Amino acid sequence: MSRNFLHTNRAFEKFKKHSLAVTGLWVLVFLYVCMLFAEFIAPYNLDNGNRALSFQPPSPLHFIHNNSFAFPPVVHPLSYRFNQLFEREFIEDTTLSLALSFFTAGDAVKLFGCIPIRHHLFGVNDPTGTTRVYLFGADGVGRDLFSRIVYGSRVSLTVGLAGVLITFLLGFIIGGMAGFYGGKIDWILMRTAECFMLVPSFFLMLALRSAFPMNLPSSTVYLLIILIMSFIGWASFSRIIRGMTLSIAKRDYVTAAKAIGASDARIILVHILPHTMSFSIVSLTLSIPGYILGESALSLIGLGIVDPAASWGNLLGGAMNVADIQYHPWILIPGVFIFITVMAFNFLGDGLRDALDPNR
Amino acid sequence: MHRALISLCSVSLLLSLTSCHKQSASKSGDAAPVDYMAIQKKAELFVPAVGKTGGEIILSTFSDPKSFNPITATETSTSEFTQYMYEGLVRINGVSRLPEPSLARSWDISADGLTWTFHLRPGILWSDSVPITAADVEFTFNQLIYNNDINPCSSRDIFLINNKPLNVAALDSATVQFKLPVPFAPFLRSLSQEILPHHIWAPIVKKKTFAQALGIRTNPDSMVVSGPFCLQSYISSQKVVFKRNPHYWQKDSTGNQLPYLDRVIYSIVQDQNAELLAFKRGDIDFLAAKGEDFPGLKKDEANGSFTVFRLGPNTGANFLFFNQNTGRDSATGKPFVDSVKLSWFRNVTFRKAMAYALDKESMIRIVMNGLGYPQWSPMTPAEGYFYNPSVTTYLYNIKEAKRLLAEAGFFDKNNDSILEDKEGHPLEFSFCTNSGNNVRLKIAEIIRKDLESIGCKIHFQQLEFNSIIAKISNKPYEWDAVLLGLTGGSEPHFGRNVWHSSGNLHMWFPSQSKPSSTWETSIDSIFDAGVVELDVVKRKALYDQWQSSAADNVPLIYTVLAEQIYCINNRIKNINPSPNGGILHNIERLYVETGAHAR
Amino acid sequence: MHGEILRRLAIAIPQLLIMTFITFLLIDLAPGDILAQYRFDPRISQKTIKALEDKYHFDKPVFVQYGYWLVNFCKGDLGYSFSRNAPVTAVILERVGNTFLLGIFALVFTWAIAIPLGVFAAVRQYSWTDRIMSFISYFGMSLPSFFLALLLMYLIYLASGIPLIGSLPISGMVSAGFDQFPWHRKILDIGAHLMLPTIVLTVGALASLQRIARGNMLEELRKNYITTARAKGLPENRVVYGHALRNAINPLITLFGFSFSDLLSGAALLEIIINWPGLGSCMLAAVRSQDTFLVMGSMLMGGGMLVLGNLLADVLLIISDPRVRS
Repeated sequence: MSRNFLHTNRAFEKFKKHSLAVTGLWVLVFLYVCMLFAEFIAPYNLDNGNRALSFQPPSPLHFIHNNSFAFPPVVHPLSYRFNQLFEREFIEDTTLSLALSFFTAGDAVKLFGCIPIRHHLFGVNDPTGTTRVYLFGADGVGRDLFSRIVYGSRVSLTVGLAGVLITFLLGFIIGGMAGFYGGKIDWILMRTAECFMLVPSFFLMLALRSAFPMNLPSSTVYLLIILIMSFIGWASFSRIIRGMTLSIAKRDYVTAAKAIGASDARIILVHILPHTMSFSIVSLTLSIPGYILGESALSLIGLGIVDPAASWGNLLGGAMNVADIQYHPWILIPGVFIFITVMAFNFLGDGLRDALDPNR
Repeated sequence: MHRALISLCSVSLLLSLTSCHKQSASKSGDAAPVDYMAIQKKAELFVPAVGKTGGEIILSTFSDPKSFNPITATETSTSEFTQYMYEGLVRINGVSRLPEPSLARSWDISADGLTWTFHLRPGILWSDSVPITAADVEFTFNQLIYNNDINPCSSRDIFLINNKPLNVAALDSATVQFKLPVPFAPFLRSLSQEILPHHIWAPIVKKKTFAQALGIRTNPDSMVVSGPFCLQSYISSQKVVFKRNPHYWQKDSTGNQLPYLDRVIYSIVQDQNAELLAFKRGDIDFLAAKGEDFPGLKKDEANGSFTVFRLGPNTGANFLFFNQNTGRDSATGKPFVDSVKLSWFRNVTFRKAMAYALDKESMIRIVMNGLGYPQWSPMTPAEGYFYNPSVTTYLYNIKEAKRLLAEAGFFDKNNDSILEDKEGHPLEFSFCTNSGNNVRLKIAEIIRKDLESIGCKIHFQQLEFNSIIAKISNKPYEWDAVLLGLTGGSEPHFGRNVWHSSGNLHMWFPSQSKPSSTWETSIDSIFDAGVVELDVVKRKALYDQWQSSAADNVPLIYTVLAEQIYCINNRIKNINPSPNGGILHNIERLYVETGAHAR
Repeated sequence: MHGEILRRLAIAIPQLLIMTFITFLLIDLAPGDILAQYRFDPRISQKTIKALEDKYHFDKPVFVQYGYWLVNFCKGDLGYSFSRNAPVTAVILERVGNTFLLGIFALVFTWAIAIPLGVFAAVRQYSWTDRIMSFISYFGMSLPSFFLALLLMYLIYLASGIPLIGSLPISGMVSAGFDQFPWHRKILDIGAHLMLPTIVLTVGALASLQRIARGNMLEELRKNYITTARAKGLPENRVVYGHALRNAINPLITLFGFSFSDLLSGAALLEIIINWPGLGSCMLAAVRSQDTFLVMGSMLMGGGMLVLGNLLADVLLIISDPRVRS
């Protein structure tokens, strides 16, 4: 026990030295906390739009107001008209100034789905709802992109964790069995796994998605995507677990456990799999981005989460039209969040690998 | 010459008298709407210049042709190409959308309107120099259109009047006579039906292989045509090339052979981005643009290589409608539509409230980048003569919508922000539209929020187009509200399928044996009267009434029409932009400025 | 060793076929069928539909249908694509070439850039260049291909005033009017269209290859024979580029096959986004229109390319490593 602790402790010390990994971890902690408090952090509801603000650019925050420094900054109401070229021309109405405020009353929501709150982290106090602060600008129907990104993180950030969990279970059971029993079971299981690895994963994803109706509600699609992704992911993971099980099963203490008549399940679960744990953690951390990207890809091409629900991929789907990117480049922002999250997981995974690998 | 031509003259006079009714959603300070009626008037007065022979125009299309057979073709991707190759006895004028002489020089109508005698132009030839005669017309009708071995045949239905074929007979080589079982007002217009050469196709018909003829693998040289262009070559997913038909019947005012252009080339493009880019670079000469591309194009127009035209509302409506089917399932005896919902949907006050609740202006601004028009009735201005501009309109007005709902007995009695009807049933229904059409999806999204904002609870669904059509047209008619679209046409009678209560596309209550409401009865009688009314002015009055009634009873709640935005390279001359016909309607007179080959 | 390759093929081909069977089942599970669009078209008679059903056995149970497909497959016939009105073989052959073109371009660029960068980073281990490069490779690894593609589209728009870059095509494989171009402009045109996808795929694949190359090189540089060579007084350049490099690259060659297959599957999504007429966009269209035979064909082709890539890896290993041959 104390050796184990020492090992963990040393790994922790090593991890702390990996500055990129630590940064990645903190970024992820921040994103996940924001996700938990989405209702509070997002100033507007998921579907609360103002059509008069269609494609409003990010609200200018004025830190200088009436020639003096202003904090919190001031926003002016925006409105637009089409100019002679039919471009949206936004005009700030500087006669009206509203200070950005914190803990502002706004849309009534339920925090964690149960605690009713009216106050949001920030916002502007405009009871008419015409002046709005849109940090990342608005989409076509005038909804706050920032709020939608915050709400969308619930899909994008959880799909990886849930998917990895299922992959983990499937991979452990199948890989462990194949490695432990060997022989025909091993052959059948591994050849089956190879089947799934023989087809490009994106093709497999499309084929699996096509087995279900295209018009499912977003909540169902969310579960479906998790299932599809784990269905694709288990193969390679279980192959590696099988390899490790194979070598561990030959060790003396496993033979000893067999000799004293421990059940197969006990040997696999208690004596073998825990030894693959450090590897599994690293490998699974590094595979989370794959799930996030998979969800984004499906939603991007319209086979995943659909409006009015939001995920980062679905939000980025609004940028698939070149004219939209040209005139409203801020709709690319959800992509930045995907990028940051994927990078953070990659950093974290690398750091964990360095820390947990006894050979380094 | 005849009564038909005289009435044509009176039509065009009437058309120019039509009130200049501008309907455009615009906020103060916005870019000005276009006066498309003025453009149309100018187009009617256009006198084409004498052009120079030679050169080519490069157009683009997204889909490969599926065949070049105008008889069996069922898809628009085919008629896009066959329109260059074949002409009928009459043709539809690109500007006025009215029939005008083509292969036939003139025609006489018997007093009872049942016998029509057409006189072919003297000396006209097929592209292989064989004369075009009345035998070709007789052949096209009697052996192709009425030949039950040829399936599918897209035009057979049109020429079956009361399920009876017309009697078509060639009196001599230049005269052909049609005998109708009953008067049929759209007859002249439907004679734009393409005529095919007897000497080429008669043996093929005998061998019963005509259905496979004129396919995409057929040797282009065997396609003998009467239109301005013959097919030169087709390379799958690359291009379709047409060359000029040296024997086309039209000549310009100084006697030069038309068309001027040597070639019309269709480049098959992969997507709209590629098409836009290619147009800006000058690789293609013509572009039908979307609203969001307008700013970029308008900016580049200043460079002087092309011109952008805004030509008013397009055809092709999107409309919302509710299930008004009072029928019952004969097997189970259950009504198709829940009686509570049925009572809402059949209530005209309810439908009017829904019409007022749709924010047409936002649809135009958000979906069409400000370049669009609200639509109020089945016909659109671009469809020409029969369009009735003065019908009831439903400008976005939430107050009025709520007032009408209150009048119909809907109140929010339990303060859950969902309205309840008199018996306390919440106003809750499903709403679906087809996936795959981005514009329609965005409009549906706006409609969903609009309806929610006046207190409806909506279950929104996207379905495949096919499954929606199946739901609407088949038992057990399991749907509440649908947003769909139809392409329009200049001839109201061809919309009979939709508007006559017996029609199978009478979407809100299809295939009725007896009209279920008084207004449907009156629309039925308009269509029954309109098809036999040969006086064009009286006919117009009838169909005006239909459009008013459609707008008053709102079985279909119309939404918005996109602006027609066309861009054409400045090296193409003689263009006559018309809101009714677009840009390419006079392709046989388009010519290329010489020396303008540098691209 | 040849026996080993044959053995692998002997397993891979039935596995691929099992995959096609699973796909077939999946599509059969999906609601609706390819003939749906015909069924609702009043202009198409029941007779025609019945004839099509008979011809393609749509009325039979799924196992029988698959059996027919398999028999036809053995005859080299992959069925008929209803959405494209052409034989599946023709549709796919047309598409595979385009996907290959993209894959080969990306592969060449990736290798040409990644190996020198990796070697350079190893030689200057822990230098600033090494650190910056490793950061950049993280960056490239984490940047989703679809996002990078959209970003590049925007950048090209921003650069619209600048010659060459500003007029780079952002979608498709050829310009409209391509068929009118003289041959040299055709080549330039496809080249220009290849730029954006090649950059995207290269950036994505660069990172891992660079890191592997760096790792291999570092390992090689630590070996005794290098110390010996240095001790002998050989010039450092010769030690590094003459001795270490060759040994460091040899094991990489086996990766060539694998990375080719990776690129091909990675390209699928990108193809959809930039409308590249390859196998990926073909697959999506087929799935959307429930064009069973085309989906099957695309799956088979995609899998076939992976198998081919792995095979290539094996063959390269034999060539590069004489020890395996025995």
